[in-house]
Amino acid sequence: MVVVETIKHLSESVSEFYNITEQVHNIVKNSGVTNGFVLVLTAHTTTGIMVNEALPCVEKDLDEMLEKMVPVDSPFVHAHFLPSYGATSNNSQGHLKSALTGNHCMFPVMDGKIVCGGAQDIYLVEFDGPQARKIFVEVMGE
Amino acid sequence: MLIDMHMHPIFYGDICENEDEVNFRGDTFGVWKQGPMTDEELFAEWKICDLTKAALLPLDVTTAEGGWIVNNDQVEKLCSVHPEKFIGFASVDPNRKDALDVLEKAFKEQGLMGLKLNPAKQKFDPNAECMEAIYEICEKENKPIIFHAGLSWEPNTPTEFCHPCVFEKAIMNHPNLRICLAHFAWPWVREMVMLMIKYPNVYTDTALLYVDSPEEQMMELFTKDMGPMWFERCFPEQVMFASNGPRFRMFKIKRALDKVPMRDFARENLYYKNALRFLYGKEVKEW
Repeated sequence: MVVVETIKHLSESVSEFYNITEQVHNIVKNSGVTNGFVLVLTAHTTTGIMVNEALPCVEKDLDEMLEKMVPVDSPFVHAHFLPSYGATSNNSQGHLKSALTGNHCMFPVMDGKIVCGGAQDIYLVEFDGPQARKIFVEVMGE
Repeated sequence: MLIDMHMHPIFYGDICENEDEVNFRGDTFGVWKQGPMTDEELFAEWKICDLTKAALLPLDVTTAEGGWIVNNDQVEKLCSVHPEKFIGFASVDPNRKDALDVLEKAFKEQGLMGLKLNPAKQKFDPNAECMEAIYEICEKENKPIIFHAGLSWEPNTPTEFCHPCVFEKAIMNHPNLRICLAHFAWPWVREMVMLMIKYPNVYTDTALLYVDSPEEQMMELFTKDMGPMWFERCFPEQVMFASNGPRFRMFKIKRALDKVPMRDFARENLYYKNALRFLYGKEVKEW
């Protein structure tokens, strides 16, 4: 059995931690899948899917670490006209942060629930907002 | 206050009911991989850079391309929904037979605030005889004109009509007509500077991100393409903030300009006061 749902979110700032833990758990709960896996995947290349503890201080530290690793004023190559878009690329920082965080996470599902640690919250992390974003949640099993 | 004087509302949801028309706009303007956006999405971007108002620019390419890249009725509609946010411009194809009627209607009945033209895209010479009547209407109605100038990424735009000096005769002949040669006429920045120094009725805008990152492009423009003091010394009332959305994201242009050193009076002029002067032709204390 495979169930796919989409979570939609409009980010409101350039960088943002959006906690989707409850939504993902509810999708699993309502999926009818008792045992299997759940995959959480962003539809974008300038966002990340991150699992971490949902504390403002942890979010701040993660944000600062990523900003130090990928400063916005770095001499990126991805900063030129893109004929296929008709626009200039200027979001390399978002692409690189996305590459660092990864674009998905996966959890086991047992007895109709996600198996996870108590501190394991799931985030969509925005790196090039504000934008309308989509996250695919696929529940697979029996 | 921050006013963006150069936005193309190609993907604004309120005027995207017809998919074929939206595709025509994208293909004709030369922008892809974007789609209709809600007001919520649009204004989220405004909010993070405190944008107050934006000039919406249509383009009538009826004889050259067989349609409009957003028409005057659509701009009027958008302005009626958000009169506090949008400044509606008109366009007209100078080669159409009813050009003057279209323009008179736009100014007198639709309340549009200025005229947008692109000689390269619309295939006309700004010094052609047919333009005189258009300039006269704009002068009589106290409406400014924004011309595309400099590099154009729109398909089918020969550069010979994009050079800023092409416009000099029209500028000379109409000293009371406020004319913006958009995009700093890049790469002809120094020619643009020359025109602003010679003619106080000439304006330009910052809607350019043709090479490099926003930070690099704006710093190059204000400190290398021009001497670092030229803007505030020589033409502090003639450059307007603009983004050229949806090609470039306005908050990134603003973020880059915030890092360019300039005095407070010059920054205020750049961010909104010059736009008000351009729109109304005089110092506007309150809006």
